[in-house]
Amino acid sequence: MSLLSYILLVPLITLGILLLLPASAARAIRWLCALSGLVACALSLELFFAYDSAAGSIQFEEIIPWVQGVGISYHVGVDGFSTVLILLNSLVYFTGVLTMWDLENRVKEYFAFMVLLVIGVYGVFMSLDLFFLFFFYEIAVVPMYPLILIWGSGNKDYAAMKLMVFLLAGSALLFPGLLAIYHEAGLHSFDMVALAAHSFDPQFQVFCYPFIYLGFGVLAGMFPFHGWSPTGHVAAPSAVSMLHAGVLMKLGAFGVLAVGMRLLPVGATYWAPTFSVLAAIGIIYGAFVAMRQSDFKFVIGFSSVSHMGVVLLGLNLATLGKGGADALNGAVFQMFAHGVMTALFFSTVGFVYDRAHSKTLADFGGLGSQMPRAVSLFIVAGLCGAGLPGLASFWPELLVFMAALNTYPIIGVAIIGGLVLTAVYILRVFALAFYGPPNPRWDGLREQDMRGFQLLPRAILVAVLLFFGFFPNAMLNAINQTTVALLGRF
Amino acid sequence: MSDALLFAPEIALIFTGLLLFFCPVFETSYRTSWLLALLGGALSLALACWTLGLSGEPFSPGIYRVDAFSQFAKVALALGYLLVIAISHSPQTLNKNAWLEFPMLLLFATLGTMMMVSATELLTLYIAMELAAYPLYIAVALHRSPESSGESSTKYMLQGMMASAVSLYGMSFLYGIFGSTYFSEFARQLTAAAGQPLLWVGVVLLLAGFLFKLGSFPFHFWAPDTYQTAPHEVVTYLATVSKVAAIALLCRLVSLLSDAQMPEVLMWVSIAAMTLGNFAALVQKDFKRLLGYSAVAHAGYVLLGIQTGAILGFSSALFYALGYLMMSFACFLVVCELGRDSDYVSIESLKGLHRRSPLLAATLMVGLFGLIGLPPTVGFIGKWFLFSAALEQGQFGLVLVAAINSVVALYYYLLVLRAAYLEDAPDAAIVHLGPFIKLTALVSMAIVVALGTFPGPFWDMAAKAAKALG
Repeated sequence: MSLLSYILLVPLITLGILLLLPASAARAIRWLCALSGLVACALSLELFFAYDSAAGSIQFEEIIPWVQGVGISYHVGVDGFSTVLILLNSLVYFTGVLTMWDLENRVKEYFAFMVLLVIGVYGVFMSLDLFFLFFFYEIAVVPMYPLILIWGSGNKDYAAMKLMVFLLAGSALLFPGLLAIYHEAGLHSFDMVALAAHSFDPQFQVFCYPFIYLGFGVLAGMFPFHGWSPTGHVAAPSAVSMLHAGVLMKLGAFGVLAVGMRLLPVGATYWAPTFSVLAAIGIIYGAFVAMRQSDFKFVIGFSSVSHMGVVLLGLNLATLGKGGADALNGAVFQMFAHGVMTALFFSTVGFVYDRAHSKTLADFGGLGSQMPRAVSLFIVAGLCGAGLPGLASFWPELLVFMAALNTYPIIGVAIIGGLVLTAVYILRVFALAFYGPPNPRWDGLREQDMRGFQLLPRAILVAVLLFFGFFPNAMLNAINQTTVALLGRF
Repeated sequence: MSDALLFAPEIALIFTGLLLFFCPVFETSYRTSWLLALLGGALSLALACWTLGLSGEPFSPGIYRVDAFSQFAKVALALGYLLVIAISHSPQTLNKNAWLEFPMLLLFATLGTMMMVSATELLTLYIAMELAAYPLYIAVALHRSPESSGESSTKYMLQGMMASAVSLYGMSFLYGIFGSTYFSEFARQLTAAAGQPLLWVGVVLLLAGFLFKLGSFPFHFWAPDTYQTAPHEVVTYLATVSKVAAIALLCRLVSLLSDAQMPEVLMWVSIAAMTLGNFAALVQKDFKRLLGYSAVAHAGYVLLGIQTGAILGFSSALFYALGYLMMSFACFLVVCELGRDSDYVSIESLKGLHRRSPLLAATLMVGLFGLIGLPPTVGFIGKWFLFSAALEQGQFGLVLVAAINSVVALYYYLLVLRAAYLEDAPDAAIVHLGPFIKLTALVSMAIVVALGTFPGPFWDMAAKAAKALG
C-alpha cells in the first residue's frame, strides 16, 4: 500500500473506532481525534519531503480496480500541488480538533462528521480517477449540513440549506460534465491519467469546460455564485469554518485545476478571459462588501471570497501564456496560504466568540487590552490577509498580480486597488474591535485569555505562515515542476 | 439441470404459502405465521442466490425462462420480501382480524412478481401480473380504520385494474401483429413489424401496466394517497418489492424492442415523472406522502436508464432497482417503527428522533442520503451509472435535467433530516426497538453503504443480468 492510502486510512480507522465508542466517552473521542490528526500531520509531512519535486510527476501511485465493467478504479497518486494541499488538510484537521477541544454538545456525532469531511478532502486531493474524485468531493460536502445545522449559531438553518443547495447545484453541473468527458474519450475508463493522454476535440472542450469550471467554482466561492460561502462561514462552528474556508473551498479550485485545466486545456484557454474578469470582480467585490460588515465572521467570509478570487484569477491567467507559470504557482501557493490563514482567523474568532458570545465588531471596542493574546493572533492572520511581507500570503498575491499586470494590465491595476481595500477592511476591524476604548462589559474576559494548551493550535498555524513567508522557496520548489508540466499541455 | 432446481425459489414460496393457508384455519398465533413467512422468505432468498448462475427453461420451453436476469431480479425480490416481513412482527396499523392472512398475501404477491420476471410469453406474463396484483389490492385495504383504507384502496385498485386492462388491450395488439404470444417470436419478426404504427400502439398500451406498478407518470395518482393512508407494512412492500418487479419488467419489454427504434415516449415519461414527483414532494407535510412523491421521482430516474434501450442502461436500472429497494426500505423501517401507534407519520412526528432513538435516526439518514444520491450510499453510484448510461446515448440535456432535479429533491429530504436531527420534542417518548429490528436496521444500513462503496460484484451481476436480456 502506498503512503497515500495510509493517509486516507488514518481518518477512516479513526471514524470506525469513533463509531464504536459510546457517546459518553467524550474525552476518549477527543484524544482519539487529536492523535489521528497528529499521525495524519506526520504522514503528510513525510509525503511532503518524500515527494521528488524535481521530477514534478505523479508519484506514490496505487491502482486497485473497483468496478471493472465501467472502468472505475481506486487510483491514487500525488503531484506537487496535491502534496501541498494534503499537508494543508492535515494541518487544519489537527488544529481544528484542538480548537474544538471544549465542545460539550453531542461530541461523538460532531467528530464523526468532521472526520468524514476530512476523509472526503483527502480523497479529492489524491484521487486520479474521475469517479472517486467526485465521490470524495460529495463526501466532503455532505457533512457540512449537519455540522452547521446542529453545532452552528445564528441564522444556521438558512445558512446550512443555502450551502447545500448551492454546492449540490454545482454538482448538478459536474455530473453531466464529468460523464461527458468519460464518454467523449471513449476509453471506457475514468482514469484521469489515461484521460489526460487523450486529446479531446476542441469543440467539445469549449462546450464542456464551463460545466466543470462553474461546478467546481461554486465551491471555490467564485463570483457570482459565492452567496453560500459567507453565510455558511458565519453560521458554522469555528473548527467547521476552519475546514470549510481552509480546505473545502480549495477543493473547488483544485477540481478546476485537476479536471478542467488538465483534461480540457483548449476549453480552459477559450474561457479564461471571461472567467478572469469574473474572478477579478470577485476580488474587488469581496473586499468592498467586507468593508461594510459589522460581524467578525462576515468580514472573514467576504475576505475569503476576495482571496479565493486571487486563486481563480491565477488559474485562469495561467492558461494565457505570458507569466503563466507565475500565475499558477501563485494560485496554488495562495490556496495553501489562504487555508492556513483563514484557519487561524476562525480558530481565534471562535475562541473569542465562545467566551464573549458576540461577534459584533462594535461591541468590542478595545478588546486588545482585555484579551491580548487572542487579539495578537487575529492580527497576525489579518496582516497576512492584507498581504504583509514576511507572511505567507504576500508571495502568492505578488505572483498573481504580476501575472495579471503582464496579461491584462487593466485587471492588474484594478486588483492592486483591491489589495488596498483589503488593508482597509482589515485595519477597520482592528480599529473598531481591538484598539478603541475598552468596553467594561468584557473585563471579565481578562482571566479567560488564551493560555497554555489553547495556544498550541494557533501557534502552529502562525509558525507555518511565518515559515512560508520567509522561505517561499520551500513552497515554490515543491510545486514549480508540476506547474511546468501542466503548462506544457497548453 | 433439473427443472425443479430452476424453479426452486418459487417452489419454496409456494410451499410456504400452502402452509400459511392453514394458519388462519387452525387459528395459530400471529407469531407462528410470521415466523413461517420469514423462514419461507429466507429459504427462497437462499435458493435464488444459489440459482444465480443457472439458466434454463423449466417445464415448457418458450414460456418461462430462468437466466441471470430473472435470478438477479428474484434475489432482489426475495430480499425485499424477507425484509418487509422482518419488520412486520407487529403490524399495528393493520386490521387485527386480518393479521394471520397478511403474510400470506405478501408471499403470494412475491410469487407473482417472481413469475413475472421469468415470463417470456404474454399470457404467462399477464397471469403472473395479476397474481402479483390481487393480494396487494386486498392488503392495501386492510387498514385498521375503515375511513383510512377506503380512499387509498379504492384508488389503488381502480387504477390498478384499469392499467391492467389497458395492458391486456396492448397485448392483444401485439398478438394481432405477430400472431403469437411468445417473446422469441416477437424478436424474430421484429424488423419486419417495426414499420407498423400499430406495434407502437400496442407497446405503449402494454407499458401502462408496468408504469402503474412503478408509480410513474402518468399512472402515479395512486402513489401519494396510497402511500399516505395504507398500512405502513403494505406501503413498505409497494415501495420496495413492487418497484423492483416493475423495473425488471420494463427492462424486459424495452430490451425486446431495442432493435427497432423505440420512440422517445419513455424519455418524456422519465422527465415528467421526476420533475412532477420532486416538485410535488416539496410541499408535503406527511412523511409517507412525501416518500410517495419521491417514489414517482425515482421512477423517473430509473426510466432514464431504461429509455436508452442499451445494455448499459438496463444494467444501471437493475443495479438501481437493488439499491432503491434498500434505500427505500431503510426509510420505511423508520416509518413502521415510529408509526406503530399512529395511522399517519408526519414529518413533525420525526422531531427529536436523534435522541429518542439514535439508531432509527441513523437509519433514516442513511436512507435519505441514498435517496438524495450522496456518497457513500448506493444512491450516489446508482445515479452515476444511470446518468452515465444516458450520456452514452449522447443525451446530455436529459442528464442535466435529471441532475438539476436531484438538487430540487435535496431540499425536501433535508427538511426531513432537519426534523430528525435538529429539532427536539421534549415530551416525545423514547422509541424502544426489539433486538431483531435493531439487527434489521443495522443490516439494511450496512447494505446501503456496502452497495455504494463496493459496487463491483453487484454491478457485475447487474451487467450479466442485462446481457442475458439481449
